[in-house]
Amino acid sequence: MNSDPKEFDTLRKLMALKRHEQPPREYLDELSHSIRMRIERGEGRANIWDKLSAHFSLRPSLAYAFGLTVCGALSFSAFYMGKQEMTEAADSSGSGTFRAVPVSAFPSQVQPVTPLHVANWLRNTNPSVESQPQLSLFNTSRQVVPVSYQTGY
Amino acid sequence: MAGLPSDLPEDEAEALENGKVSDLTLVQNAQRDDVGAYDELVRRYQERIYATVYHMTSNHEDANDLVQETFIKAYRALKTFKGDSSFYTWVYRIAVNKTINFLKQRKNRLHMSLNDVDFNAENDPDLVALVSEKTPRRDLNMAELQDKLNGAMLKLSEHHRMVVTLHDIQGLSHEEIGEIMGCNIGTVRSRLFYARQQLQAYLTDYLK
Repeated sequence: MNSDPKEFDTLRKLMALKRHEQPPREYLDELSHSIRMRIERGEGRANIWDKLSAHFSLRPSLAYAFGLTVCGALSFSAFYMGKQEMTEAADSSGSGTFRAVPVSAFPSQVQPVTPLHVANWLRNTNPSVESQPQLSLFNTSRQVVPVSYQTGY
Repeated sequence: MAGLPSDLPEDEAEALENGKVSDLTLVQNAQRDDVGAYDELVRRYQERIYATVYHMTSNHEDANDLVQETFIKAYRALKTFKGDSSFYTWVYRIAVNKTINFLKQRKNRLHMSLNDVDFNAENDPDLVALVSEKTPRRDLNMAELQDKLNGAMLKLSEHHRMVVTLHDIQGLSHEEIGEIMGCNIGTVRSRLFYARQQLQAYLTDYLK
Protein backbone atom coordinates (compact mmCIF):
# COMPACT_ATOMS: atom_id res chain seq x y z
CA MET A 1 0.00 0.00 0.00
CA ASN A 2 3.04 2.25 -0.05
CA SER A 3 2.31 3.24 -3.59
CA ASP A 4 3.37 6.28 -5.43
CA PRO A 5 0.83 9.02 -4.63
CA LYS A 6 0.69 9.85 -8.34
CA GLU A 7 -0.09 6.24 -9.24
CA PHE A 8 -3.82 6.82 -9.13
CA ASP A 9 -3.85 10.47 -10.19
CA THR A 10 -5.56 9.88 -13.52
CA LEU A 11 -8.04 7.50 -11.97
CA ARG A 12 -8.90 10.04 -9.28
CA LYS A 13 -9.50 12.69 -11.91
CA LEU A 14 -11.68 10.31 -13.85
CA MET A 15 -13.71 9.37 -10.77
CA ALA A 16 -14.06 13.02 -9.81
CA LEU A 17 -15.97 13.53 -13.05
CA LYS A 18 -18.83 11.72 -11.40
CA ARG A 19 -19.39 14.86 -9.31
CA HIS A 20 -21.08 16.24 -12.39
CA GLU A 21 -23.81 13.65 -12.15
CA GLN A 22 -26.39 15.72 -10.34
CA PRO A 23 -30.14 15.68 -10.19
CA PRO A 24 -32.03 18.77 -11.38
CA ARG A 25 -32.55 21.53 -8.78
CA GLU A 26 -36.35 21.02 -8.76
CA TYR A 27 -35.83 17.41 -7.81
CA LEU A 28 -34.05 18.37 -4.58
CA ASP A 29 -36.80 20.86 -3.67
CA GLU A 30 -39.33 18.11 -4.19
CA LEU A 31 -37.27 15.69 -2.14
CA SER A 32 -37.18 17.87 0.98
CA HIS A 33 -40.89 18.57 0.53
CA SER A 34 -41.67 14.83 0.39
CA ILE A 35 -39.62 14.19 3.52
CA ARG A 36 -41.41 16.97 5.40
CA MET A 37 -44.82 15.69 4.28
CA ARG A 38 -44.00 12.16 5.40
CA ILE A 39 -42.84 13.40 8.81
CA GLU A 40 -45.97 15.53 9.25
CA ARG A 41 -48.12 12.54 8.31
CA GLY A 42 -46.67 10.81 11.37
CA GLU A 43 -44.00 8.62 9.78
CA GLY A 44 -41.41 10.42 11.86
CA ARG A 45 -42.83 9.17 15.14
CA ALA A 46 -40.53 6.68 16.79
CA ASN A 47 -41.79 3.52 18.46
CA ILE A 48 -39.76 1.37 20.82
CA TRP A 49 -38.33 -0.72 18.00
CA ASP A 50 -37.23 2.42 16.12
CA LYS A 51 -35.46 3.67 19.20
CA LEU A 52 -33.72 0.33 19.65
CA SER A 53 -32.76 0.05 16.01
CA ALA A 54 -31.49 3.63 16.03
CA HIS A 55 -29.11 2.68 18.82
CA PHE A 56 -28.19 -0.53 17.04
CA SER A 57 -27.48 1.01 13.66
CA LEU A 58 -25.19 3.55 15.22
CA ARG A 59 -23.52 1.07 17.57
CA PRO A 60 -23.46 -2.36 15.90
CA SER A 61 -21.63 -3.80 18.93
CA LEU A 62 -24.73 -3.02 20.98
CA ALA A 63 -26.82 -5.05 18.52
CA TYR A 64 -24.48 -8.03 18.82
CA ALA A 65 -24.51 -7.77 22.61
CA PHE A 66 -28.31 -7.58 22.63
CA GLY A 67 -28.58 -10.59 20.28
CA LEU A 68 -26.18 -12.62 22.41
CA THR A 69 -28.09 -11.75 25.58
CA VAL A 70 -31.41 -12.78 24.06
CA CYS A 71 -29.96 -16.06 22.70
CA GLY A 72 -28.30 -16.75 26.05
CA ALA A 73 -31.53 -16.12 27.95
CA LEU A 74 -33.50 -18.39 25.60
CA SER A 75 -30.92 -21.19 25.76
CA PHE A 76 -30.74 -20.95 29.53
CA SER A 77 -34.53 -21.02 29.95
CA ALA A 78 -34.84 -23.99 27.54
CA PHE A 79 -32.09 -25.86 29.36
CA TYR A 80 -33.52 -25.02 32.77
CA MET A 81 -37.06 -26.09 31.80
CA GLY A 82 -35.78 -29.36 30.32
CA LYS A 83 -33.82 -30.07 33.44
CA GLN A 84 -36.81 -29.29 35.64
CA GLU A 85 -39.03 -31.66 33.62
CA MET A 86 -36.50 -34.44 33.93
CA THR A 87 -36.29 -33.93 37.67
CA GLU A 88 -40.08 -34.05 37.99
CA ALA A 89 -40.22 -37.19 35.87
CA ALA A 90 -37.57 -38.84 37.98
CA ASP A 91 -39.44 -37.90 41.16
CA SER A 92 -42.75 -39.31 39.96
CA SER A 93 -41.46 -42.53 38.38
CA GLY A 94 -38.92 -43.29 41.02
CA SER A 95 -36.37 -44.72 38.66
CA GLY A 96 -35.89 -41.79 36.35
CA THR A 97 -35.66 -44.11 33.33
CA PHE A 98 -39.18 -43.52 32.11
CA ARG A 99 -41.07 -40.29 32.03
CA ALA A 100 -44.35 -40.45 33.87
CA VAL A 101 -46.89 -38.26 32.15
CA PRO A 102 -49.99 -37.48 34.16
CA VAL A 103 -53.21 -38.49 32.45
CA SER A 104 -54.66 -35.06 33.12
CA ALA A 105 -52.13 -33.65 30.67
CA PHE A 106 -54.10 -35.18 27.78
CA PRO A 107 -57.79 -34.65 28.60
CA SER A 108 -58.90 -35.37 25.02
CA GLN A 109 -57.38 -38.83 25.16
CA VAL A 110 -59.10 -39.83 28.39
CA GLN A 111 -62.12 -42.00 27.66
CA PRO A 112 -65.00 -42.15 30.16
CA VAL A 113 -65.14 -45.52 31.80
CA THR A 114 -68.18 -47.30 30.45
CA PRO A 115 -69.41 -50.82 31.08
CA LEU A 116 -68.36 -53.41 28.60
CA HIS A 117 -71.01 -53.92 25.93
CA VAL A 118 -71.31 -57.42 24.81
CA ALA A 119 -73.24 -58.90 21.94
CA ASN A 120 -75.05 -55.79 20.75
CA TRP A 121 -74.62 -57.24 17.30
CA LEU A 122 -76.86 -60.19 18.25
CA ARG A 123 -79.85 -57.93 18.58
CA ASN A 124 -79.22 -55.40 15.84
CA THR A 125 -78.08 -56.51 12.41
CA ASN A 126 -78.76 -53.21 10.68
CA PRO A 127 -75.43 -51.35 10.55
CA SER A 128 -77.05 -47.99 9.73
CA VAL A 129 -79.06 -47.95 12.91
CA GLU A 130 -76.92 -47.06 15.76
CA SER A 131 -77.76 -49.12 18.72
CA GLN A 132 -78.08 -47.52 22.08
CA PRO A 133 -75.36 -48.47 24.41
CA GLN A 134 -76.54 -51.11 26.75
CA LEU A 135 -75.61 -51.61 30.26
CA SER A 136 -73.49 -54.48 31.09
CA LEU A 137 -75.04 -57.91 30.90
CA PHE A 138 -73.67 -58.59 34.26
CA ASN A 139 -75.14 -56.95 37.22
CA THR A 140 -72.22 -55.19 38.70
CA SER A 141 -74.03 -54.67 42.00
CA ARG A 142 -74.04 -58.39 42.70
CA GLN A 143 -71.42 -59.76 44.89
CA VAL A 144 -69.25 -62.62 44.03
CA VAL A 145 -70.24 -65.77 45.89
CA PRO A 146 -67.90 -68.72 46.10
CA VAL A 147 -69.25 -71.64 44.15
CA SER A 148 -69.14 -75.20 45.23
CA TYR A 149 -68.98 -77.89 42.56
CA GLN A 150 -69.61 -80.69 44.97
CA THR A 151 -73.02 -82.33 44.79
CA GLY A 152 -75.09 -84.35 47.11
CA TYR A 153 -74.32 -82.46 50.22
CA MET B 1 -12.98 34.23 13.91
CA ALA B 2 -12.19 37.33 15.91
CA GLY B 3 -14.77 38.43 18.40
CA LEU B 4 -16.35 35.02 18.82
CA PRO B 5 -16.12 33.03 22.05
CA SER B 6 -13.33 30.46 21.70
CA ASP B 7 -15.22 27.64 23.44
CA LEU B 8 -17.91 27.46 20.75
CA PRO B 9 -17.95 24.31 18.59
CA GLU B 10 -16.45 24.85 15.14
CA ASP B 11 -19.81 24.39 13.45
CA GLU B 12 -21.51 26.88 15.78
CA ALA B 13 -18.79 29.49 15.35
CA GLU B 14 -18.82 29.16 11.56
CA ALA B 15 -22.59 29.47 11.48
CA LEU B 16 -22.52 32.60 13.66
CA GLU B 17 -19.89 34.11 11.42
CA ASN B 18 -21.97 33.48 8.32
CA GLY B 19 -25.14 34.70 9.98
CA LYS B 20 -26.72 31.25 9.69
CA VAL B 21 -28.38 29.16 12.34
CA SER B 22 -25.95 26.42 13.36
CA ASP B 23 -26.69 22.72 12.90
CA LEU B 24 -26.64 22.27 16.65
CA THR B 25 -29.36 24.88 17.20
CA LEU B 26 -31.46 23.39 14.43
CA VAL B 27 -31.02 19.91 15.91
CA GLN B 28 -32.04 21.15 19.35
CA ASN B 29 -35.14 22.80 17.89
CA ALA B 30 -35.96 19.68 15.86
CA GLN B 31 -35.61 17.58 19.02
CA ARG B 32 -38.45 19.73 20.40
CA ASP B 33 -40.57 18.64 17.40
CA ASP B 34 -39.90 21.74 15.30
CA VAL B 35 -40.35 20.22 11.83
CA GLY B 36 -39.30 23.50 10.21
CA ALA B 37 -35.88 23.29 11.84
CA TYR B 38 -35.49 19.73 10.65
CA ASP B 39 -36.54 20.76 7.17
CA GLU B 40 -33.68 23.26 7.14
CA LEU B 41 -31.25 20.48 8.11
CA VAL B 42 -32.61 18.29 5.32
CA ARG B 43 -32.12 21.10 2.80
CA ARG B 44 -28.55 21.60 3.95
CA TYR B 45 -27.47 18.00 3.51
CA GLN B 46 -29.84 16.33 1.08
CA GLU B 47 -27.66 17.06 -1.93
CA ARG B 48 -24.57 15.44 -0.44
CA ILE B 49 -26.50 12.51 0.96
CA TYR B 50 -28.27 12.02 -2.35
CA ALA B 51 -24.95 12.09 -4.22
CA THR B 52 -23.44 9.46 -1.92
CA VAL B 53 -26.40 7.13 -2.21
CA TYR B 54 -26.70 7.69 -5.95
CA HIS B 55 -23.01 6.90 -6.57
CA MET B 56 -23.45 3.73 -4.53
CA THR B 57 -26.60 2.49 -6.25
CA SER B 58 -26.23 4.11 -9.70
CA ASN B 59 -29.99 4.24 -9.64
CA HIS B 60 -32.03 7.39 -9.31
CA GLU B 61 -35.22 5.79 -7.96
CA ASP B 62 -33.36 3.75 -5.36
CA ALA B 63 -31.35 6.80 -4.31
CA ASN B 64 -34.56 8.81 -3.96
CA ASP B 65 -36.17 6.19 -1.71
CA LEU B 66 -33.06 5.67 0.37
CA VAL B 67 -32.51 9.40 0.95
CA GLN B 68 -36.10 9.81 2.12
CA GLU B 69 -35.80 6.78 4.39
CA THR B 70 -32.50 8.08 5.76
CA PHE B 71 -33.90 11.46 6.77
CA ILE B 72 -37.06 9.96 8.23
CA LYS B 73 -35.06 7.47 10.24
CA ALA B 74 -32.74 10.27 11.38
CA TYR B 75 -35.76 12.29 12.52
CA ARG B 76 -37.09 9.34 14.51
CA ALA B 77 -33.69 8.82 16.12
CA LEU B 78 -33.00 12.52 16.63
CA LYS B 79 -33.73 12.36 20.35
CA THR B 80 -30.85 9.89 20.73
CA PHE B 81 -28.45 12.33 19.03
CA LYS B 82 -26.19 13.61 21.79
CA GLY B 83 -23.95 15.81 19.68
CA ASP B 84 -20.83 13.65 20.10
CA SER B 85 -20.25 14.04 16.38
CA SER B 86 -21.59 16.59 13.93
CA PHE B 87 -25.12 16.14 12.65
CA TYR B 88 -23.64 15.83 9.19
CA THR B 89 -21.45 12.84 10.16
CA TRP B 90 -24.32 11.27 12.09
CA VAL B 91 -26.81 11.45 9.25
CA TYR B 92 -24.15 10.26 6.81
CA ARG B 93 -23.63 7.20 8.99
CA ILE B 94 -27.34 6.40 8.83
CA ALA B 95 -27.31 6.82 5.05
CA VAL B 96 -24.22 4.63 4.64
CA ASN B 97 -25.64 1.81 6.80
CA LYS B 98 -28.99 1.97 5.05
CA THR B 99 -27.41 1.93 1.60
CA ILE B 100 -25.04 -0.95 2.37
CA ASN B 101 -27.92 -3.00 3.83
CA PHE B 102 -30.03 -2.23 0.77
CA LEU B 103 -27.26 -3.27 -1.60
CA LYS B 104 -26.66 -6.51 0.28
CA GLN B 105 -30.36 -7.39 0.09
CA ARG B 106 -30.62 -6.60 -3.60
CA LYS B 107 -27.29 -7.89 -4.76
CA ASN B 108 -28.73 -9.54 -7.84
CA ARG B 109 -31.12 -6.78 -8.79
CA LEU B 110 -28.76 -3.92 -9.40
CA HIS B 111 -29.47 -1.96 -12.51
CA MET B 112 -28.49 1.48 -13.64
CA SER B 113 -31.01 4.23 -14.19
CA LEU B 114 -29.22 7.34 -15.33
CA ASN B 115 -31.79 9.12 -17.44
CA ASP B 116 -32.89 11.48 -14.69
CA VAL B 117 -29.43 12.56 -13.71
CA ASP B 118 -27.54 15.25 -15.59
CA PHE B 119 -23.92 14.60 -16.46
CA ASN B 120 -22.44 17.97 -17.40
CA ALA B 121 -18.78 17.11 -17.47
CA GLU B 122 -18.01 18.29 -20.99
CA ASN B 123 -16.30 21.44 -19.81
CA ASP B 124 -14.41 19.94 -16.94
CA PRO B 125 -10.69 20.68 -17.44
CA ASP B 126 -9.84 17.23 -16.13
CA LEU B 127 -11.94 15.62 -18.81
CA VAL B 128 -10.39 17.79 -21.50
CA ALA B 129 -6.98 16.70 -20.26
CA LEU B 130 -8.00 13.08 -20.09
CA VAL B 131 -9.33 13.06 -23.60
CA SER B 132 -6.07 14.25 -25.07
CA GLU B 133 -4.48 13.07 -28.26
CA LYS B 134 -2.64 10.35 -26.38
CA THR B 135 -5.86 8.83 -25.19
CA PRO B 136 -7.12 6.04 -27.41
CA ARG B 137 -10.68 7.02 -26.43
CA ARG B 138 -10.82 10.46 -28.08
CA ASP B 139 -14.20 9.58 -29.48
CA LEU B 140 -15.79 8.80 -26.17
CA ASN B 141 -19.01 10.54 -25.41
CA MET B 142 -20.41 11.56 -22.08
CA ALA B 143 -23.10 8.90 -21.90
CA GLU B 144 -20.58 6.16 -22.62
CA LEU B 145 -18.14 7.48 -20.05
CA GLN B 146 -20.88 7.74 -17.45
CA ASP B 147 -21.93 4.21 -18.25
CA LYS B 148 -18.38 2.88 -17.96
CA LEU B 149 -17.67 4.67 -14.70
CA ASN B 150 -20.88 3.45 -13.09
CA GLY B 151 -20.37 -0.06 -14.42
CA ALA B 152 -16.88 -0.15 -12.93
CA MET B 153 -18.18 1.16 -9.60
CA LEU B 154 -20.86 -1.52 -9.46
CA LYS B 155 -18.20 -4.21 -9.78
CA LEU B 156 -16.65 -3.15 -6.47
CA SER B 157 -17.83 -4.51 -3.13
CA GLU B 158 -20.14 -2.22 -1.15
CA HIS B 159 -17.44 -1.14 1.28
CA HIS B 160 -14.86 -0.46 -1.41
CA ARG B 161 -17.41 1.45 -3.45
CA MET B 162 -18.37 3.50 -0.44
CA VAL B 163 -14.79 4.51 0.28
CA VAL B 164 -14.20 5.57 -3.33
CA THR B 165 -17.48 7.50 -3.34
CA LEU B 166 -16.74 9.34 -0.14
CA HIS B 167 -13.08 10.04 -0.89
CA ASP B 168 -12.54 10.36 -4.62
CA ILE B 169 -15.96 11.68 -5.59
CA GLN B 170 -17.13 13.59 -2.55
CA GLY B 171 -13.74 14.66 -1.29
CA LEU B 172 -14.10 13.61 2.35
CA SER B 173 -10.98 13.04 4.42
CA HIS B 174 -9.83 9.62 5.64
CA GLU B 175 -10.73 10.62 9.20
CA GLU B 176 -14.27 11.61 8.26
CA ILE B 177 -14.75 8.41 6.30
CA GLY B 178 -13.47 6.36 9.24
CA GLU B 179 -15.94 8.08 11.52
CA ILE B 180 -18.83 7.61 9.09
CA MET B 181 -18.08 3.98 8.33
CA GLY B 182 -17.11 3.06 11.88
CA CYS B 183 -13.60 1.85 11.04
CA ASN B 184 -10.08 3.11 11.56
CA ILE B 185 -8.06 5.18 9.13
CA GLY B 186 -5.82 2.23 8.22
CA THR B 187 -8.86 0.29 7.04
CA VAL B 188 -10.05 3.27 5.03
CA ARG B 189 -6.65 3.61 3.35
CA SER B 190 -6.38 -0.09 2.51
CA ARG B 191 -9.92 -0.23 1.14
CA LEU B 192 -9.23 2.82 -0.97
CA PHE B 193 -6.04 1.30 -2.32
CA TYR B 194 -7.65 -2.00 -3.33
CA ALA B 195 -10.70 -0.26 -4.75
CA ARG B 196 -8.52 1.98 -6.91
CA GLN B 197 -6.49 -0.99 -8.09
CA GLN B 198 -9.66 -2.74 -9.22
CA LEU B 199 -11.05 0.38 -10.87
CA GLN B 200 -7.79 0.91 -12.69
CA ALA B 201 -8.08 -2.58 -14.12
CA TYR B 202 -11.70 -2.07 -15.18
CA LEU B 203 -11.08 1.35 -16.72
CA THR B 204 -7.74 0.63 -18.29
CA ASP B 205 -8.86 1.93 -21.73
CA TYR B 206 -9.54 5.35 -20.30
CA LEU B 207 -6.38 5.62 -18.28
CA LYS B 208 -3.69 5.08 -20.90
